[in-house]
Amino acid sequence: MLEITSTPLVLIAILGTVGILLPIISIVRKERGSNSFYAVIAFAALIVSMGYVGYQFLNDNVIPSALFSEDVIVDDAFGGFFAIAMLIVALFTTIGSFNYMRKHNSPAVYYSLILLATIGMVLVAYSTDLVMLFVAWELMSIPTYVLVGFMKKNPSSNEAALKYFLFGALSSAIIVYGISISYGLTGSTNIGEVIQGYSTLDPSLLPIALLSVGMFIAGFGFKMGLVPFHQWLPDTYDGAPPPITALLAAATKKAGFAATIRIVILGMVVLHLDWTIALGIIAVMTMTIGNVAAIMQKNLSRMLAYSSIAHAGYILIGLAIAPHSSLGLQGSLYQILNHAVMKGAAFIAIAGIVTTLAVTHIDKLKGLGRRMPITALGLIISLFALAGIPPLSGFWSKLMLFGGALDAGSVLWWAPWLAIAGVLNSALSLAYYGWITRKMYFEGETEKRVKEPKSVIAVMIASIIFLVGFGVYPEPIIKFVELATPVISLSLMP
Amino acid sequence: MTSELVDFTLVSVALLGIGIYGLAVKRNFIRMLFAVEIIINAANLNLVAFGRFLPHSGGQTLALFSIAIAAAEVAVGLSLIIVAYRMYQNVDIADFRSLKG
Repeated sequence: MLEITSTPLVLIAILGTVGILLPIISIVRKERGSNSFYAVIAFAALIVSMGYVGYQFLNDNVIPSALFSEDVIVDDAFGGFFAIAMLIVALFTTIGSFNYMRKHNSPAVYYSLILLATIGMVLVAYSTDLVMLFVAWELMSIPTYVLVGFMKKNPSSNEAALKYFLFGALSSAIIVYGISISYGLTGSTNIGEVIQGYSTLDPSLLPIALLSVGMFIAGFGFKMGLVPFHQWLPDTYDGAPPPITALLAAATKKAGFAATIRIVILGMVVLHLDWTIALGIIAVMTMTIGNVAAIMQKNLSRMLAYSSIAHAGYILIGLAIAPHSSLGLQGSLYQILNHAVMKGAAFIAIAGIVTTLAVTHIDKLKGLGRRMPITALGLIISLFALAGIPPLSGFWSKLMLFGGALDAGSVLWWAPWLAIAGVLNSALSLAYYGWITRKMYFEGETEKRVKEPKSVIAVMIASIIFLVGFGVYPEPIIKFVELATPVISLSLMP
Repeated sequence: MTSELVDFTLVSVALLGIGIYGLAVKRNFIRMLFAVEIIINAANLNLVAFGRFLPHSGGQTLALFSIAIAAAEVAVGLSLIIVAYRMYQNVDIADFRSLKG
């Protein structure tokens, strides 16, 4: 049994109470405009939750990554790691919305939906039962459908929401179908028992088990933006309000990876499949297509959307080689945390640019380094970290990922090729990041400095501290990642 | 008893096929929403049928959850399409083309 003070339950209590109370407060107060009031409440709730996760870690109340439990949720280091990554993004989104929401209606509902979606993401990472996983997955998805279409008068916001909704609903339908098959085969919805049931499955039922694992990959892959399932992603990221794009790109995507690590990787191990090569092929395709399409974009948020697809490919490298190299999986988790901060900061910077200058076309960003110096600096630092330039935090995670891939080369002949593809793709991505840098700093001359939103400056400074600080001194994060990474091997089966 | 289970599974697979066909062919948003609903109901049928032949009620529980959640999802989807209809006077997704690149 879980104790009442365990992290997931306390997070549900804090975020859920505040999330439900916010709209009620706004009805009772009978006023619409005071955006910052609700933002401060949501911010406080997120900070308290973050503090509680950190407190549990510091007091050693968290068990090491368990992956299985008899309960529906488990309070382990793996879930805590993802909870921290997602709470960071939710904090960025809340702070970044301070200015963005000033011009828009019903802020109470907006912040309440952000908090509810955050509970969903956190619970996906903690859940060890397929029923819980599905409910948490929907708790994450449904608020984000509304948030993407929050700008009711704006056609592109609505269109983005429709596309996102259709693919999101399809992905959850496919996940339920996968769950129903695995329940039929093993007679349980507990992930540990499902995995155990798969390992002792009658060989004649193996194709059906394969079908269920394939459905899980497809369902989670829609949210992660893996390549055959990525068509909705650029449109949605482009049309959604920019702070919400930060939430989608940096947090809901990571929930997909958490669920994949909990189910798919283990499922493939026990089914004795050489499916790692399939994941490897998807990884290479995802990063190549993402980067090649990003080069051709003229719109900053579309470019970052494609780069986000490419990054899903990098993270997938570590998952593909997970059964053979724990270093690769550690690299994946590290990259997940880094990507949350980098993409979150980059999209909040876009939100700042949109609110003050109302442009996202790259040609119109000339001289941004003089017009909005701090926003531009934060954007550049996150872009360079995304490319993996050495003193920044993004370098170490890519080093671990590609190092893990080379490491696994002794078992899998194709694993070093993943590393080579990753390095080539990083070089390719540097081309378009460099192009943005040139536009912002070396073109245009006459622009004057404009007033930057204070909330965006706060996010930029926090992300610069994280990316540069942990880039120069990465040991604490590496220790944390090692603690959180589950050991994937057959000996750990329940 | 086992043959009954096979019947249920076959119906469920047929519903899955119908749902995927609808998503691939139709361009009317409400029809596509229906197609997704058919897939979810195929999964629910599977869950209930399997739950009937297993000694505990986990499958039925999940089916209830899934029905309730699908209802919430449809509510959001229909409200999005109402907003879109006010803007475009149309629910054909081929006409929603403000985002390109």
